[in-house]
Amino acid sequence: MSSLNHHYPILLIAIPILVAALTIMLRSRPKLQTGLSVLASFSVVLISSLLLMKVWNSGIQVYEVGEWGKYGIILVADLLSASIVVLSSGVSFLSLIYSLDYIKKRSLSTYHPLFNLLVAGLHGSFLTGDIFNLFVFFEVLLLSSCGLVVALEKDGITKSSDKLEATFKYLILNILGAALMLIAVASLYATTGTLNMADISVKLSAMQAAGTLPWHVFAIGLLFIVVFGNKAAIFPLHYWLPDVHPTAPSPISAMLSGVLIKVGVYGMLRIFFFVFRDVLGMFQPIIIILALFTIGIGAASAVAQTDVKRLLAYSSVSQIGYVFLGIGFGSLGAIAASLVYMFNHAIAKSLLFLTSGGIIHHAGTRDMNKMGGMVNSSPFMAVAFLIGAMSIAGLPPMGGFISKFVLFDAGIIGKYYTEIAIALLFAIFSMFYMFRAWLLMFWGEKRDVKAYGEYSEHGSSPLVYLPIVFLAFMVLALGVYSEPLLSLAQATAAQILDPQAYIEAVLTRVVR
Amino acid sequence: MNNTLLSLVIAILFGIGTFLILRRDIVRVIIGLSIISHAVNLLIVSAGAFSGKDVPIITHNEVVPTNTIFSDSLKNGVLAPLLNGTEPTHFVDPLVQALVLTAIVISLATTAMIIILAYRIHEEYGTTDIQKLKRLWG
Repeated sequence: MSSLNHHYPILLIAIPILVAALTIMLRSRPKLQTGLSVLASFSVVLISSLLLMKVWNSGIQVYEVGEWGKYGIILVADLLSASIVVLSSGVSFLSLIYSLDYIKKRSLSTYHPLFNLLVAGLHGSFLTGDIFNLFVFFEVLLLSSCGLVVALEKDGITKSSDKLEATFKYLILNILGAALMLIAVASLYATTGTLNMADISVKLSAMQAAGTLPWHVFAIGLLFIVVFGNKAAIFPLHYWLPDVHPTAPSPISAMLSGVLIKVGVYGMLRIFFFVFRDVLGMFQPIIIILALFTIGIGAASAVAQTDVKRLLAYSSVSQIGYVFLGIGFGSLGAIAASLVYMFNHAIAKSLLFLTSGGIIHHAGTRDMNKMGGMVNSSPFMAVAFLIGAMSIAGLPPMGGFISKFVLFDAGIIGKYYTEIAIALLFAIFSMFYMFRAWLLMFWGEKRDVKAYGEYSEHGSSPLVYLPIVFLAFMVLALGVYSEPLLSLAQATAAQILDPQAYIEAVLTRVVR
Repeated sequence: MNNTLLSLVIAILFGIGTFLILRRDIVRVIIGLSIISHAVNLLIVSAGAFSGKDVPIITHNEVVPTNTIFSDSLKNGVLAPLLNGTEPTHFVDPLVQALVLTAIVISLATTAMIIILAYRIHEEYGTTDIQKLKRLWG
């Protein structure tokens, strides 16, 4: 066991890839395939928690793939990576459980391999310490998520042609983003002669100190803002998200909104606060302005939506703006706040998307105007949606309240009064659109029973209920007892702002 | 080989690719994406193609020197690893070629995926005109 201890980072990537290959071969044995997939997903959750505990207790873990030191590919687990991996593996396990009942049997045989590849791509991009490898894992998760968006649900409410159109937009934009990322990576390599992130960081800092920093490093920084902004769907690049997230099956929407757009946030934190740490000052105002536009446009668009999943998608756009606002402020408290925000949003939004899947299954439509009075026929969904809505709106005692509170607190300490005022205004918007959705769907009477038909009597299985219950419990727990998350975020932010420990852990290694 | 010529070729390829992506036909968009990915590959190669004169291969008869430098000395402009006593730019950089190989394989996969998607869109919508794909607008 002690030898296995050392291999946690690679296991988090290797297990999903291996299981993806095995599940392709087991397509004719659905039971075995499902069992294998769930077992792998659960073991990944366990391993990621063990990894986080190990990083917390004994510092940054560096794993050399192929023992080539900083010249080969390395996996690095610091607090940021390890905690996001715990989040992503947890959300993906719950989504997988949910999708066992939600996805059509015919789609499920290709769903499992793609889902495992998506998990591998996510964990790879969170754990890698090599910038080109980051690009490779971005492509892995892009292609597998495209395959998952077109998977069919049992209820068949979202048409196949809609899914294709959304996926086409998503794929074109992300291939362009990948091309831009390659340009940025190649230029960084031509400038510094290395692909290792810690090494690049040291060399850029040395160039900055010597005054020989070439001007095109700033252009590279702007390219990275475009690349990660495209992944995270911030303001000028957010148009694909409200098409893709609603048309995907609900568990995949939960993955996309909960974890996948956080890849952009993670990349931003890693590249700007670590690789470009000494030239960051120039980019901060850009990030703040983009974040404010994202908050405003996301919230204002969400107010007018009638499609429940489209509303949640626009709400995701708005909420990711708050995360980027914290990143733009750049102080210790603000980064800790945006990490807390990211965690709370991931859990609450996954809860909302999974619940919306149940609601759509129950109502037979995605249009909120055709629903109403559902609190009588489905009280469980009403409570779960209310808990998620309260968290997104930022009401105590949910996790969303804590995250908004620490973010605004950090902004006021940093004297960003105008920015905080705008963010507060749109926080009221978010309260309005979440409760408008809840009232439309659950309160009152069904508007026109003759035209829209009765609600389906078909109850959902425990596979659908259990993930929702667990996520709702987590939203409440993070609101009521938030100290562990806050202290974790504080420690992580301290590590992000002072990357000396990371650099030492990566660079002081013996090359064979 | 001329460095300026290569830069010019890359720039023209980017221009053609961008022009094609802005067309209305899906197939042209896909061709534009492929051309852009080729331009990026050329850019990566150009990052390391002109830095050395020897092929980066150590033959079996050659003795690998023991005094290899593995740590950078930024003050002297030395980027590790390199062999002690030689010019820093003795070998052509082999890493960029490995990067391009990876990038080509990935762009093969994405192109295959997007062509299948275009075919299915043609089946569902009966057109390859992007402006007719607007069921999700609003």
